[in-house]
Amino acid sequence: MAIERGNVIIVERGRRKERLPGSGLLEGMAVVWRHWQGSFRKNRSFSQIHGTFTLEYPEERPKLPEAYRNMPILLYDEETGHELCTSCFQCQRICPPQVIHMTQAKDPATGKPVPAVAEFVIEYDACMSCGFCAEVCPFDAIKMDHEFELSTADHGSLTVAKEQLNRPIGYYERIAPTMWAEVREQALKKLQGNIKRRPGVLGMAPNLAEKIAARLRELATTAPVEAAPTTPPGPSAPAGRLSPEEKAARLAAIRARNDAAPADAPPPPAPAGARDGHGEPAPSDVPPAVNPADAKAARLAAIRARNAARAQEQAPPEPPAPPASRARTDEPEG
Amino acid sequence: MPSGCCALCIEMLKTEELQINIGPQHPSTHGVFRMIVTVDGETITDLKPVFGYLHRNHEQIAEQNTYLQNMPYTDRLDYFNSMANNHAYAMAVERLAGIEVPERAEYIRVLMVELTRILNHAGALGFLINDMGMWQTQLAFGMREREKILDLFEAASGARLMCNYFRFGGVARDLPPDFVPKLKELLVAMPAFVDELERLLRENEILMQRAEGIGILPRDLALAYSVTGPVLRGSGVPYDVRKAEPYSVYDRFNFDVPVGSVGDVYDRFLVRIEEMRQSKRIIEQIIEQLPDAQGGHINPKARQNVRPPVGDAYARIESPKGELGFYLVSDGSTRPYRYKVRAPSFINLTPLGDMCRGYKVADVVVILGSIDIVMGEVDR
Ligand code: SF4
Ligand code: SF4
Repeated sequence: MAIERGNVIIVERGRRKERLPGSGLLEGMAVVWRHWQGSFRKNRSFSQIHGTFTLEYPEERPKLPEAYRNMPILLYDEETGHELCTSCFQCQRICPPQVIHMTQAKDPATGKPVPAVAEFVIEYDACMSCGFCAEVCPFDAIKMDHEFELSTADHGSLTVAKEQLNRPIGYYERIAPTMWAEVREQALKKLQGNIKRRPGVLGMAPNLAEKIAARLRELATTAPVEAAPTTPPGPSAPAGRLSPEEKAARLAAIRARNDAAPADAPPPPAPAGARDGHGEPAPSDVPPAVNPADAKAARLAAIRARNAARAQEQAPPEPPAPPASRARTDEPEG
Repeated sequence: MPSGCCALCIEMLKTEELQINIGPQHPSTHGVFRMIVTVDGETITDLKPVFGYLHRNHEQIAEQNTYLQNMPYTDRLDYFNSMANNHAYAMAVERLAGIEVPERAEYIRVLMVELTRILNHAGALGFLINDMGMWQTQLAFGMREREKILDLFEAASGARLMCNYFRFGGVARDLPPDFVPKLKELLVAMPAFVDELERLLRENEILMQRAEGIGILPRDLALAYSVTGPVLRGSGVPYDVRKAEPYSVYDRFNFDVPVGSVGDVYDRFLVRIEEMRQSKRIIEQIIEQLPDAQGGHINPKARQNVRPPVGDAYARIESPKGELGFYLVSDGSTRPYRYKVRAPSFINLTPLGDMCRGYKVADVVVILGSIDIVMGEVDR
């Protein structure tokens, strides 16, 4: 039967044949034999169906494609010692399971926010490796790592702070040369702009103690009046090992600090309750509690009716993207 | 003893129906799936599928996320075919918000979904043969082809299974430069693989004994249960969303729709083999027609915060398992007000009782294998 650009074909059913006993077995063995012979050759060519395709992991390692993504890492520039991240909160906002937490650095002299990040925590154990954070980051500061051997018996060590997330740009350039080449210029240009707005050693990678010391010396000679802090504000992150209570306390502290941030700062992340089940939902996310089932059904009906009425008209153009800072606080309006 | 006694004893034996549980943890239930089977001797008199062991609140979670944040969650529905899930969801949001997709992105999408179909069927047939007791050989061959396709997915999207590759109005990034040459190589191997599979198994004695006339789903019953995909086509209904309601760029490709004549396990097996061939045909046409990269902003970053106008939309695609649909209601905010998945595995599973009644206990696993379910999608 012919249909548009094709036919309906009725698959041809095989027939049971009268055969010599054992001939079916021999047929099967012939296929197995061909593959067995092939198995003495290594073969990674896509056009072959014979040969060994497996790798002797861990001695042999697969060559990972550049785009491969596992867990996010933060980049810093080896030359200046500065981190690329400006704590713009874009990645925290987009993260589907809400596992990124951060606080913005503040100038200790004026108390004004500085484009640098003070604390940065990612819960690797709940990260779904979606890669959105790397995709949205306007400063190319967060990228996806190729390291995949992360299994550990120590669950706490999977809540990873800035110190363990930091990697030099050179590392990322090695694992993803063309992807870095695409963004390199603009990333470094933006970084230069941001460095100018970072007083003292704010925004410098904490693992680069020498660079920080050198910068402090330089500051001491040029501006002796200002005593720059040696550590970013906020409790410095302990390396590894966090008990669940410590982890919860730490995340709560970050959230509290962000809540207390000035109104023009980006909003806090979605409630922890959505993820770990024991956090209390933030007030802004609680829908009006009047008879939710009825209200929902009524609204669904109303929406459908409005849609039906609109269906006659032409589909409206796509609405402009909302201002980024409002994205997560929006409550559906009646 | 006199032989007349045996017959007498059997007469006097009190027999009764027995209820047994297959699953939720069972090697051939394809996930945490439980069947309450009532048997009379070896014959099945009733079968009740029980789902819900993998329920994880998918739809509720989705209603709390922004539109884009749901994309990686859809990967986790039918984790064999994350690209197909992405496609259906992206289409639903695009329909809701009125987003246009550049042509090259459409071709890339269709390419990915057709590759998904091949890898799904290669795996599904392997598991079906596994369930028949031809342990592992065909599965290993199928997995080998599947791995090659996953390599391609990894190069394009960064992940093998949870691809998260589609974006509203495009795809996450363009194909890497060595993608198409590798794909062409793969297309050389594909007929060899499918032909070998067919030569080995089509008239294989074991397969015919286990599949022919087993698990018959008559045409009218299949329609009544709204079964879709290879199961429906195996029952002889030439219904394929790609033909019935051509979405994306499917109206530009020539391909056939294979259907069965009896509706048994054997027909579903043969339909899947033929579908792999047809998918290969589509991919060849895609490679021919694939437009150049220039001019198409394939990943429009501005679409991170879509805010569709108030309304609802339903989009459906022919996923490898059947008709996969997403129904979305927008209240004008950045999150879906209602999010509903029409999962083919779930609906294809509902006639299982009717398909199994009257067959033997050993046939249950084969019939289940021939439906090709993934519990991630059944339970959501
Ligand atoms: S999006 Fe980039 S710059 Fe902004 S906070 Fe995240 S990592 Fe830092
Ligand atoms: S990869 Fe995805 S889940 Fe993981 S931190 Fe980034 S945005 Fe969050």
